[in-house]
Amino acid sequence: MTTETASTPARDLESMDDIIIAENVDKWFGDFQALDDISMRIKEHEIVVVLGPSGSGKSTFIRCLNRLEEHDAGRIVIDGIEMNDDVRNLNAIRSEVGMVFQQFNLFPHLSVMNNITLGPRKVRRMPKLDADALAMQLLERVGIPEQADKYPAQLSGGQQQRVAIARALAMQPKIMLFDEPTSALDPEMIKEVLDVMQELARSGMTMIVVTHEMGFAREVADRLIFFDEGSLVEEGTPQHFFENPQEERTKLFLSQIL
Amino acid sequence: MVDMPAQNPQRIVLPPHRERARRPRIVRFREWARRNLFNSRAGTLLTIITAAILALLIYGVVYFVFVDANWRVITENRWLLFAGGYPMDQEWRLWFSVMFVFLLIGLTYGTWASLGRRDHLFIVLASGFAVLLLAHGGAAIWSTIWYLIAVGLLYAGYAITIRMPREAGPGRTVQQRSVAGLLIAALPIVLIVLLAFGGARPRELEGFVLNLVLAPVGIAGGLILAIPLALGRASRMRAISWTCTTYIEVVRGAPLLGWLFVALFILDDVIGGELIVRAMVVLAVFTAAYMAEYIRGALQALPHGQSEAAHAVGLNQFQSMQLIVMPQALRISIPPMVGQAISIWKDTTLVTVILPLRELKGNADSAIAQFEFTPDRIEAYVFVAVIFWVVAFIMSRISQRVEGSLGIGER
Repeated sequence: MTTETASTPARDLESMDDIIIAENVDKWFGDFQALDDISMRIKEHEIVVVLGPSGSGKSTFIRCLNRLEEHDAGRIVIDGIEMNDDVRNLNAIRSEVGMVFQQFNLFPHLSVMNNITLGPRKVRRMPKLDADALAMQLLERVGIPEQADKYPAQLSGGQQQRVAIARALAMQPKIMLFDEPTSALDPEMIKEVLDVMQELARSGMTMIVVTHEMGFAREVADRLIFFDEGSLVEEGTPQHFFENPQEERTKLFLSQIL
Repeated sequence: MVDMPAQNPQRIVLPPHRERARRPRIVRFREWARRNLFNSRAGTLLTIITAAILALLIYGVVYFVFVDANWRVITENRWLLFAGGYPMDQEWRLWFSVMFVFLLIGLTYGTWASLGRRDHLFIVLASGFAVLLLAHGGAAIWSTIWYLIAVGLLYAGYAITIRMPREAGPGRTVQQRSVAGLLIAALPIVLIVLLAFGGARPRELEGFVLNLVLAPVGIAGGLILAIPLALGRASRMRAISWTCTTYIEVVRGAPLLGWLFVALFILDDVIGGELIVRAMVVLAVFTAAYMAEYIRGALQALPHGQSEAAHAVGLNQFQSMQLIVMPQALRISIPPMVGQAISIWKDTTLVTVILPLRELKGNADSAIAQFEFTPDRIEAYVFVAVIFWVVAFIMSRISQRVEGSLGIGER
């Protein structure tokens, strides 16, 4: 499977190992089944965009991948580590999986610098000087090194989300989860966040992105996955999705959103 | 277009409101009064009635304070009121504590806030009041000097810290941590200075000193107990949450007066020891129940995304609480906590009602029990009320400043 887009270089994903394995995953909220028998394999360096109407379970699914939600049945394996009640496994997984939220969820009482260095210093026991250097490097990468000493409330939405991405990257994760990263942003700020994500994709990060940004999906994704009512309805390349979707529900969703 | 301003460059045309502002002050005052005080017949009537009542009140207060009152009941009994049974030859311990606390207030203001014109006015007025009291009769000239040195230390600490840079940096961090450390250590330090190494025995803490010891111990102890109580009540483990809920509801369900009876009779059999220690325990336990509820409210107000984000960057449950959730929850709960602190400050007078402990109000009772001063009970109680008000006012002002300076990272 190779993509023909200009932004992502042709990569030989076939030879890569599966870094995420989900088998028959179920998730219930009381009587409501949020995930119904989801199985999926994602390869290292793959960029997967998850689509679906609200309430379809797409956010719930990626939140299961770092156990912000606990799955009720099935099996999830991240980079060879089984997701179970073992706290050591959970900590190992969480330090390999970074997450970016719709509402940014920056820590408002900490400066931008401390937001980013908190994880490395407290979890990885990195010395302060090293953590600060790493944070500055990441702020350069997301394009806002001059904001290091400000507080989140002093930044625009787009800047906050870029800090949130830097915060997640500071743990040097192998996988990045994005839960509707641009949905809470003003239109003029969406591009600056997508640009950072695109750069990240080019660098070879494994990414799972829940989004409604079809331009991003078309250009950057290796694979699109469509969720509806807790089930995985259809998956395929962007080309397949935008030119030749098979399922009725997919067609309906795409016709509404495009 | 003949009257172009450019033809007459000397004359600057001001908008109407600027024109008005340049009129003499007396004219502006007259206008303000007409608009706000005499805008209608009913308004004028109300203004006159209010002014008459105010004038009567002010006259009454001034007459009482300067003519009618016999303040000798205070000045003659100042040691009784302030320190009571504290050994007189250990007076330096009291002054040392006052100086230490004043210095700390200066350092705190210089580090996190600044003193405004009103603060200076308040300090000057309060100091004038204190000096008047201390220097009266000339006997206690040293007390006056000690007090003035304490005020000097307040300003010295303020002058040093206010000049230090406020921008984030290693120096700022050291400064903040040192002052915060001193603040946390202040209460134990003061208690050690007052009591340890040949100081007073606990039962010799009396008068205003006793209020000043009881309230901070109750507040600090309450806060320390309140945090685990709040977390426990919010816990998902039933046994823990029920235990904490029961504690909170039982303690809040009875008045402080009742719990002080417990300290007097029941705790005597259970833990024994100094009565004053039992009173401290009761005050802390009582305060904790209220503070725990304020913290729980703040925990619920905090967006769930905060702890999710903390977990997502790999922090464990304890780190997430310690570094992310609690700092924010405590800040949200500052206003009700200060309300509770002020309330417990005033409630320290209750130890006199129930326990044979003589705090300020209790010793005021002793003062007017002297035959010579029996007619002066109003003077004594007015004095006690003013002292309580001054301390409560300081607490409220400081908390406002703390809120203001912590507001920087507000969402």
